[in-house]
Amino acid sequence: MNAATHVFRSTAGARRGERAIFWLFRAATWFVLLCGAAVFLNIFVKGSRTVFKAEAPFINTTFLTEAPESLYIFEWEGKKREMGDREFRAFKEQNPAAAHVATESYVYSAGGIWPCIVGTVLLVVGSMTIALCLGVSAAIYLNEYARDGAFIRFVRLAILNLAGVPSIVFGLFGFGMFVIFFGWNVSLLAGWFTLAFMVLPVVITASEESLKAVPKGFREGSLALGATKWQTIRKNVLPYALPGILTSSILGIARVAGETAPIMFTAAYVVRDKLPWDVDRLGDFFFQGVMALPYHIYVVSSKIPQNDYTERVQYGTAFVFLFIVALIATSSILLRNHLRNRYKW
Amino acid sequence: MIETSPPPQPAPPPVFAVQKRRLRFLGLTLDDTIKAFFGGNALVAVVVLALITVFLFREGAGFFGQNRTNLEIYRQAGLEYVDFIRRQTDDHTALTRYLSDLRLRQVMILTERERRPLDEVNAALAPFDAFAEQFSATVDPLRALLSDLTEQVTAIKTKFIVTQDRKEERRQLLAEGKPAEADAVKIDTIDFATELKPILGALPLYKETSREFSRKLVALLDSVPSLPSPELHPRMEKLKQLARNYAAGFPAIERDMEAWEHTFPVPAWETFTAFLFGRQWLTASFWQDWYGILPLLIGSLLVSAVALALAVPLGVGAAIYVNQIASTREQRLIKPCIEFISAFPSVVLGFFGIAVLGQALRLLSQQPWLSWMPGFPYSERLNILTAGCLLALIAVPTIFTLAEDALNNVPRAFKEASFALGASRLQTITRIIVPASLSGIISAVLLGLGRVVGETMVVLLCAGNRIAIPDFTSGLAVITEPVHTMTGIIAQEMGEVVRGSIHYRALFVVGLVLFVLSLLINYAAQKIVRRYKLSIG
Amino acid sequence: MVNAAPATMETRPPAPPSAPALAAKVSPRFPAVAAAAASEGRNVIVDIDDVDFFYGATQALHDITLGIEAKKVTALIGPSGCGKSTLLRCLNRMNDLIDGTRLGGGTIKIHGVDIYQPDVDVIELRKRVGMVFQKSNPFPKSIYENITYGLRLQGLKDRRKLDEIVERSLRGAALWDEVKDRLQASGLGLSGGQQQRLCIARAIAVEPEIILMDEPCSALDPVATAKVEELIQQLRSRYTIVIVTHNMQQAARCSDRTAFFYLGKLIEYADTREIFTNPAHAQTEAYVSGRFG
Repeated sequence: MNAATHVFRSTAGARRGERAIFWLFRAATWFVLLCGAAVFLNIFVKGSRTVFKAEAPFINTTFLTEAPESLYIFEWEGKKREMGDREFRAFKEQNPAAAHVATESYVYSAGGIWPCIVGTVLLVVGSMTIALCLGVSAAIYLNEYARDGAFIRFVRLAILNLAGVPSIVFGLFGFGMFVIFFGWNVSLLAGWFTLAFMVLPVVITASEESLKAVPKGFREGSLALGATKWQTIRKNVLPYALPGILTSSILGIARVAGETAPIMFTAAYVVRDKLPWDVDRLGDFFFQGVMALPYHIYVVSSKIPQNDYTERVQYGTAFVFLFIVALIATSSILLRNHLRNRYKW
Repeated sequence: MIETSPPPQPAPPPVFAVQKRRLRFLGLTLDDTIKAFFGGNALVAVVVLALITVFLFREGAGFFGQNRTNLEIYRQAGLEYVDFIRRQTDDHTALTRYLSDLRLRQVMILTERERRPLDEVNAALAPFDAFAEQFSATVDPLRALLSDLTEQVTAIKTKFIVTQDRKEERRQLLAEGKPAEADAVKIDTIDFATELKPILGALPLYKETSREFSRKLVALLDSVPSLPSPELHPRMEKLKQLARNYAAGFPAIERDMEAWEHTFPVPAWETFTAFLFGRQWLTASFWQDWYGILPLLIGSLLVSAVALALAVPLGVGAAIYVNQIASTREQRLIKPCIEFISAFPSVVLGFFGIAVLGQALRLLSQQPWLSWMPGFPYSERLNILTAGCLLALIAVPTIFTLAEDALNNVPRAFKEASFALGASRLQTITRIIVPASLSGIISAVLLGLGRVVGETMVVLLCAGNRIAIPDFTSGLAVITEPVHTMTGIIAQEMGEVVRGSIHYRALFVVGLVLFVLSLLINYAAQKIVRRYKLSIG
Repeated sequence: MVNAAPATMETRPPAPPSAPALAAKVSPRFPAVAAAAASEGRNVIVDIDDVDFFYGATQALHDITLGIEAKKVTALIGPSGCGKSTLLRCLNRMNDLIDGTRLGGGTIKIHGVDIYQPDVDVIELRKRVGMVFQKSNPFPKSIYENITYGLRLQGLKDRRKLDEIVERSLRGAALWDEVKDRLQASGLGLSGGQQQRLCIARAIAVEPEIILMDEPCSALDPVATAKVEELIQQLRSRYTIVIVTHNMQQAARCSDRTAFFYLGKLIEYADTREIFTNPAHAQTEAYVSGRFG
């Protein structure tokens, strides 16, 4: 039989059309990835110029360990000089003639971002602690104790809706409740609670999923041996769910670290000279505002002009921030895949 | 066989003691207490949602009362009266702008198409320029009158505000128990009728000025010089028509002014309509503050529309590709990458928009081969398009993940049955898989919309922050205009307002609108998902 | 309710009014059984009387009445969905864990104690009524910890005592020789049959009086099944065992008494030999001979 005429012959035209459409879908997918890569690489490449150096120790320690300063640019003895605030003052003392030299100055463009890194870490640690305590407990209730009923449906509805509330609304809420009503002012505590409530639905959902992944047999086996509900949960459910809960919650950390809107009026200062641990009393620690990386990016990208001098701090901050968030997110994704393979019962 | 008595048995010893007394506290055993504790934590979500509502209302509730007072002052102090004239002059300014736009077009035609030197063009346009000059000068007497009246009513308003402040001061002193000091606070009484007398008295003068203005304007229209390019003549005719209509509207304005009374009450609903349908968001102005959400709402919706227009095809397309077409290896590569994109902090994307994308898109828009695109070329670096593109990058991972889930939930048997009937892969996808998961995909898109509408930093940094309803007359070109958004305005102004002021409360009401909007979107998405679950099984 | 054929009923004399207190009350609807129980001096410790059980609106058990004897193996057989597992899970109130379940009527008494009374502590009940599940469910802990789990819950900490009980339980479950060298290895590393025996060992470690087995061999291969059956034979001298099984040969091999359920009703309850050789009811015969089910 002639191969070209048998009944199962594929119709070339239809197949070509199908393939063209599949390629279109493929192009859409890769276009998205390309856009993501473009953003990432742009910030990575330009930012690494600020963060890394050509000579040892290869990392710009000034940028990572000092507070932001104003940058002064002036011409001195025929050469263009760039100096940070403190350096410039010292320079003027040495060369009194320089006191009246014409300078260009840009705020926040010299020095580093150390206080912002510290502030972000503090915000993340505090809010995730609160969110995990509340969220894991809530998930335990929903998955282990609750029986389907009007109350539980109501709680689930609330969680779902809470997940959809815009972050700026959380910011307004935190401002109205913690900053004004409770009188905490712009403080770490206000920021912690605002961020914790924002990330709560993520933590609850992640925890519930991990609890669900623990087989029913573990619970039944334990209960059949005369364990109480709480003993069962504590000894035979939580230990196996905990790794899952923690890894999934890391994505929550990325969200907490990345949000700007909720902390804008609850916890973040544009600039603050003192580091958070420079407090007189321990109690003051909780009631101080901090600088934070995302807010700093907002400030340096919208409040100061864009030119070659300011670009360094802008890209440098964005780089450090993106690096931290990406690290958190990647580790979460990898850990989760790892756990999925490990815990199979 | 007979059921006989069992052999004599000793009474069973208490071998089966299963009634144990447990330690109780307030009538609860330890386990009950633990359960109650966890249950309490589960309630937190409900409580937070309730608290958000409560605090948005608490801080925002005073707005409508204050805005009513604001609108009352606007009327009582005569600002509304003067605004009749102001609108008249503003309309004239719009006509002048039309004229200069016309000139610009003419110059473009002459220099670029006909390659005529600039001075020659200017010479050719001299009659037109003279006309335009005269045209814009016609309004001057009216404008002078307006500025006089403006000064007078502003004075009345200031006086009123001072009295209000004094009253507040006295109330506080009384509350602190200092009646003597309170009495010392002098409060002028303001009789608006007397204060407004000189202003209302200016009506004859206004009528005279306005009629003179009208006469000059119409006379001028008879001597309109013709433009060198015939293709612009229709536009010139349109201007004439517009100007005639404008002048014809003057008597109506006069009538409105005659009928106006400062004692007209401001009904309570007006404060709501002024907010919901107000076309201006104008704060800290010397004249009158307006809190109309419309420009912000439209800005938010336009930006979201652009973002979704980009994100839906990309997100859903990628989901279909990854779930149905891609090889397992490609799947395993793409999924984490898209998840990774979702972890990009929005402020970083906003910064990227300012630093790179805004400029890049503007350059792109100036490419000649792209001039067919609506609104291209444009000059505003930060606009709806820039913000929309970045928001699309935020929405794609959300839509992708949820849509992929929905596609995944389609039972395998559907697909196999379709293949078994001889359908091709594409046919199976378009006729079986996508329809079966359609509601899931729609809800994914809705949740993506929720994410985009609520996004703050990107729009704050990249949408251009111009508080005005964009110009829809040029169709799709509207996406190249800068706007301000609801989220952006809160983020931008919240830090600068005085607590308890009307502006502060207005921002909370905007937050409330945003909150309600997000709940509605969420509700719709859930509703669709629920229906979908029923249909699958 | 499917009744025994009226003809048979009539041939049997009614129960005398003088029947004394029924500590060992067996179904009056099956006079033969009741009479046998009474006449042979059977020691009934679980007394299920007229039980109705519901999953939400669906009734899973209808008027179940039967008595389970001490130190005997009682097999519950019947086609899928007939309610045998439900009944089993009623005996240690594991059904409490499922939403919407309730005991609609009747009583279940163990040693005369109604276990559905509000003053009964389910935790104490479950300590006395152990359970082995269909799918072996060792905890992802070491073998040693699996066995001591229940004891530690009761606060037993004495290492020597624990060691002793572990050995005794594993020997009791015929597993000691196979695992004595790797007590610290994970219970999940054992084979399917070993896992199931580990679960039995775990159950007997807390010294229950009654052991409930819910299709313990359904997931095992024939060799492992044989071992578990052998184990059941050994355990019968010390424990009261109630076993749900799909496998009729298994019921015939290792049980003393057999109850046949169909559609949530108890059709016949008698000595195993009787059920398999001379069933009183046509449905039972059809089932045990493999004609349906």
